[in-house]
Amino acid sequence: MTLLLALQYQFEWSVLWTAPYGRWLLQGIVTTLEISALAWLLAAALGGLFGAFRTMSGLGPRGLAAAYVEFFRNVPLLVWMFFWYFGVPQVLPATAQDWLNRHGGEFVAAVVALGVYHGARLAEVVRAGIQSVPPTQLEAALSTGLTVGQAYRRVLVPIAVRLIVPPLTNESLNLLKNSSLALTISVTEVTFMTRQIEAYTAKGFEAITAGTLIYLGLCLVVAAVMSRVERRLAIPGLVVRTEGAEH
Amino acid sequence: MRTHARKGSAAVLALSILLAGVVPAWAETTLEKVARTGSFVIGTRTGSPPFGFIDKNNQWGGFSVDLAKLVHAGIEKKLGKPVKFELKESTPTTRIPLLTSGAVDLIAGTMTITRARRESLDFSVVFFVTGAQFLVKKGSPIRGLRDIGGKRIGAQQGSTNEKVIREKHPQAQLVVFPDQPAAFTALAQGKIDAYTNDGVQLAGLKAKAPNPAEWDVVGEFYTYEPYGMAMRKNDSDFRNLVDFAMMEAIEGGEYQKLYDKWFGPRGEVPYPLSESALIFLQMQVIPR
Amino acid sequence: MSFDFGVIAGNWRFLLLQGLLGLGAFGGGTLALALPAIVLGFGVGILVALARLSRFQVLYYPASLYVQVIRGVPLVMVIFWFWFFIPIALGIALSQYGVALIAFVVFEAAYLGEIIRAGIQSVPRGQVEAGRATGLGYRAVMGDIVLPQALRNMLPSLVTQFIILVKDTSLASIVGYMDLTKAAQTVNQREIRPFELYLFIALVYWILTFGMSRLSRALERRLRPDQPVRALATDRIAGPARPPGGRET
Repeated sequence: MTLLLALQYQFEWSVLWTAPYGRWLLQGIVTTLEISALAWLLAAALGGLFGAFRTMSGLGPRGLAAAYVEFFRNVPLLVWMFFWYFGVPQVLPATAQDWLNRHGGEFVAAVVALGVYHGARLAEVVRAGIQSVPPTQLEAALSTGLTVGQAYRRVLVPIAVRLIVPPLTNESLNLLKNSSLALTISVTEVTFMTRQIEAYTAKGFEAITAGTLIYLGLCLVVAAVMSRVERRLAIPGLVVRTEGAEH
Repeated sequence: MRTHARKGSAAVLALSILLAGVVPAWAETTLEKVARTGSFVIGTRTGSPPFGFIDKNNQWGGFSVDLAKLVHAGIEKKLGKPVKFELKESTPTTRIPLLTSGAVDLIAGTMTITRARRESLDFSVVFFVTGAQFLVKKGSPIRGLRDIGGKRIGAQQGSTNEKVIREKHPQAQLVVFPDQPAAFTALAQGKIDAYTNDGVQLAGLKAKAPNPAEWDVVGEFYTYEPYGMAMRKNDSDFRNLVDFAMMEAIEGGEYQKLYDKWFGPRGEVPYPLSESALIFLQMQVIPR
Repeated sequence: MSFDFGVIAGNWRFLLLQGLLGLGAFGGGTLALALPAIVLGFGVGILVALARLSRFQVLYYPASLYVQVIRGVPLVMVIFWFWFFIPIALGIALSQYGVALIAFVVFEAAYLGEIIRAGIQSVPRGQVEAGRATGLGYRAVMGDIVLPQALRNMLPSLVTQFIILVKDTSLASIVGYMDLTKAAQTVNQREIRPFELYLFIALVYWILTFGMSRLSRALERRLRPDQPVRALATDRIAGPARPPGGRET
């Protein structure tokens, strides 16, 4: 097999650092991190809000949250990318369209698409976190003389947050990886840049290897940071660490 | 442990059978491959009217597809048996891997022959000559290359004109799309101020747009884009077959008939063949 | 602001027949890709899970490396790998369908494998020992005792992953495979009605995936009519009362 490889393909790893390709990759990493960070903030806000809604007793907020979660997470992210980039501006007023066009609409669309999609998935994480705090904890806290507000602040929320951290790590990694889909709406993130280098140099093998290593590296960093957070917050015996299967 | 060892050797055996089945495919010429598989696979475009596109009835066709059919006829004649004619989509970023991997046998779309591309592929004679221009909404201040400074100019990833704008005209704000449909939608929605591609393709997009009168193709050609059909390198018998099919079409009038069908006054995209382009095409026809 | 859902009325046949089912001149089809990918991905996933649980290091380490690497890269990247690597490494001609199918199987099997592994680990170890003690071999213990119970435990997570896989098939459109997403793009190019078209296919995907989740709930009820199914954690959280999960053996 190595023989076949050698026969067919001339490796040229230098395309990854010679100008302008090395700079393209770096710019791609920066863009990937920018979209991911902004989308993460949006997703966390939406996820927190709708996740809490889903545990409420009121039918209105609960129904709204269920509709949001079920609709947005059951449709492919790629379709959402096209929808937010091409579809939504069609129904916006002309001035809003103009503003978007002059301010990098593709970037905004990618952030919104990623944020809203992962917000729906985070809402489920948050809901599960809240619901898995046993009601007896509240009763126990109240019986020690804490007020309801104190019980929430001192007991319930701290437990829920700790329960949420491991699946939150998974979702954060998924969001980071899913930001690669922004290439379809011409956001110049890492995957886009690897395609670009391939188009310019015909060195697809090298470009894709670089892209792969970049994602692996970014994921390792995020996972390491999150596991530090998890360890610092850990209450022994409270959380069973589970593997995340979704992305 | 014993069963594992047996499984291991079975895997090695399977792998070697796989490789053994594969290695001869390397040496195979395109004609041999077509004869073996009974099918001739063309890579063409779905969104580049009128060269390769999907029309209102969701049918696939175009000028390049019709020319490829002439090559197909040549193959059937050479092999002396009927062969299936198959179309697959290829875009600027996917077409080279499609071809080199053998997933398609011929690229007949809108591919410009360049010296860089000839390093890794072979091309037929030129079958169309055009150059890059801009497609804009009617009344746009952009009238050509001079006016693109600071404007959002859309281009297709992996295309020749994308490279020219990026390298020679950095004053423009380049927005690169993975394919033509995405770029044209973006232009129609005002996300970009102009879309640059080869003039004839822009004329095709304009003609096929929901409202053609809204659009203008502007500017002088700022690049030279000779289209050719691409094939795997170092397969001169097949290349001859493709070239001879093109020459015979130009010589015998079949080419002009197809040109009229697609680009004539009553064709899909009216685009008259210039005198010099006609002479150039005819001069490619070498004597028998 | 103007809507024209006439574009759906005029093209729904193409979108559904060609894009979803793959009936038509372009081949393709979301389901034609998703169904084989589910079946093959599940099969490979079982092998991955068994390798991850194996006490033979030659199986355990490669499988673990594979799972970790795949889970650290986006699916688009994996599709591009096969786009470039297979032709270069093996010299096999692969169609868009072939590339997409292999990429999905390789990608999803890593995730499915972890779900299956967790499912197998959810079966109490005593069951294995009891099976062994009665003289059954590895294959019989796995096939007749462990896997059937594991399957029941992992079903919810498994279906969730299958739903994800169906959604993921939309990425095959990036390499030109004519699925539902690509069909919508194709129609959009000449009609320029992205809002209506993408909303329509969003609904189609939603009906498909929602139907799958309903079907799985019905299935779960049939498999275990007398007691509620314990959802196996993928992104779910185990309650505080449960002991830490078993380490890989």
